[in-house]
Amino acid sequence: MFLSLGLAALAVSCGRPSSISKESMLDSKPDNPVHTIVMPHDEPVFPPGPGRNEFVTACVVCHSPRYITMQPRFSRTTWLSEVKKMKDVYGAHISDEQALKITDYLVSINGKPDTGQAPQGTYGE
Amino acid sequence: MNRRGFLQLIGATGAAALTASSNRINSVLGTLSSPAQLVRFPEKAEMILLTDRPPQLETPLHYFRQDLTPNEAFFVRWHLEGIPTSVDLRTFRLNVTGHVRQPSQLSMDELRSQFEPISIIAVNQCSGNSRSFFEPRVPGGQWKHGAVGNAKWTGVSVKSVLDRAQVKPGAVDVSFNGLDVPPLPSVADFVKALAIDHARDGEVMIAYAMNDHALPMVNGFPLRLVVPGWYGTYWVKALSDITVLPEAFSNFWTDKAYRIPSGPNGTESPKDMAKDTVPINRFNVRSIFVRPEPDDTLHPGMPAEMEGIAFDSGHGIRRVEVSTDGGGTWTDARLDPELGKYSWRRWKASWTPRNRRPYRLMARATNAKGETQSKGQWNRSGFMWNVISEVDVKVG
Repeated sequence: MFLSLGLAALAVSCGRPSSISKESMLDSKPDNPVHTIVMPHDEPVFPPGPGRNEFVTACVVCHSPRYITMQPRFSRTTWLSEVKKMKDVYGAHISDEQALKITDYLVSINGKPDTGQAPQGTYGE
Repeated sequence: MNRRGFLQLIGATGAAALTASSNRINSVLGTLSSPAQLVRFPEKAEMILLTDRPPQLETPLHYFRQDLTPNEAFFVRWHLEGIPTSVDLRTFRLNVTGHVRQPSQLSMDELRSQFEPISIIAVNQCSGNSRSFFEPRVPGGQWKHGAVGNAKWTGVSVKSVLDRAQVKPGAVDVSFNGLDVPPLPSVADFVKALAIDHARDGEVMIAYAMNDHALPMVNGFPLRLVVPGWYGTYWVKALSDITVLPEAFSNFWTDKAYRIPSGPNGTESPKDMAKDTVPINRFNVRSIFVRPEPDDTLHPGMPAEMEGIAFDSGHGIRRVEVSTDGGGTWTDARLDPELGKYSWRRWKASWTPRNRRPYRLMARATNAKGETQSKGQWNRSGFMWNVISEVDVKVG
C-alpha cells in the first residue's frame, strides 16, 4: 500500500495524472472516527562526491533532500551558515568537521562563488 | 558532474524513472523560469511541490480566480517532520490549561455542541509567500505567489473557550500547540503565542471546518487556529493545546524565528542589516496578478481580461490600479464586492494590446488607511513580500 501510494505521487509529479493516484484520496467517512492518511515519499539519489555520506546520514534524518534542491545556488558563506544553523540551533548530530564536509558537498551540487556579502537566512523560514 | 546532470540524476530515481521523461526535473530548483512540478498528496489536488517531508505545497495560480480557495488546493506548510497522519476523534481532546481556574479537555462533539459556532472568511498567507522573488535570493521555502489562500472558516472563538476555562487575573500570553512533533529532542516543538487581549478579541478562532468541510489532514485536521489578518505562522495546525500564561511566552519559534526588521514594512538591506527585530505580525497590503499568467501569449487587437486578488490585514482594500506600460500610467481596476474585512478582494480590468511585443503589466493595491504596495523590498528571511505586482506577457 505504502509503495503504491508513493509511486502514485511520483507518477503524477511528472505531469501525468495517474488513475492510481486516486488511491491516495483516503477521505474520512462521516461514520469513521479515525481519520488516517498515508504520505507519499520521494527519496532522490545524490551523486557521489566528498561529503555525500555525511550529508545523507545527517541531513535526511529530519527533512527531505528537497530542502536543498529547491534552493537557488548559494555561496559557501550562505551554505555554511545553513549547516551551522542545523547543527547549533536544531541540534543535528554532526561534528564541526562533518559540518564542513557537508558544506563542501552542498557547494559542489548547488553552489556559486562567494561575493563576500552573501545574505544569511534566519530561522523558521 | 554538471548541475543539469545532477538534476537529471535526481529525477532518474524518482518520477523520471517511471515515465521516461526528465524534462520537468529542473523544477526541483524552484527557479523562476522552470516549470512547476506537480504532485498529489492525500486529500489534495495536484499542487506545486516544494518539499515532501515535511510537506510544503504551493497552490497553482489559477485557483485564485475563485473567491474561496478549494480545500484540496489550499497551500500546505509544516515545520517539523513528525506531522500527524492519523487522528482518532474518539480520543482527541483540545486541552485548555495553564493560568485558568477550570482546565478543560474538550472533545470535538463538545466544541460543536457547547459553543456558539462562528464563521469568517479570511486570507491565510505564509510569512514567506513570494520569497523566491527577493534579490539577492535568501534561503528558505522558495515560494512563488501561491502560499496564500482565502477560505470560510467555521468553529468557535478562542474567547468562548477561554471564558469557559475562567482565565485568572494577570494572564499575559496564550500559547497554541499542535499534534506535530520534532524529529529530534533538540529541535524546539512548534508552538506559537498571542497576547491575551488578542486571543480574546472574539475574532481569533478555533476552526473545525474550512469551506464547510472538515480540514484536510495536511491543512490541520481536526482543528486549526485562525488568526485573521495575521501571517500563517500563527495559524497553528492540528491544534491540541491552549495554555494561558501569567508571563510572556518564550521559545525558539518566537524569539529567534519569524522575526522581521523593526523598521517600516520589515525592510532592511544586505549591506545594512537591521539590529532590532520584532515578531512578524499583520499582513501588509498586497495584490497578486492571477491572469494573465507569466509568459502567457496574448493577441493584438483582442481584448484581454486582467484579474487578480488584493488584501491587507483587515482595514479593507479600497483601490487597485493597473498599468500596461511598465508603471508609466495607471488606471483603476474594477473591484468585486467585499466578502468581509479579512477576505481578499478580487479585481478585474480590461485591456486590448495593440502591438506585437512584450508587455509588463503591473498592479498596485491601496487600503482604507491609504497604505499601498512597496516599490522595492528586502529582508534576510524573505518575509512579507508586497512589491507592486508585475507580470510579463507576450503579444504575438
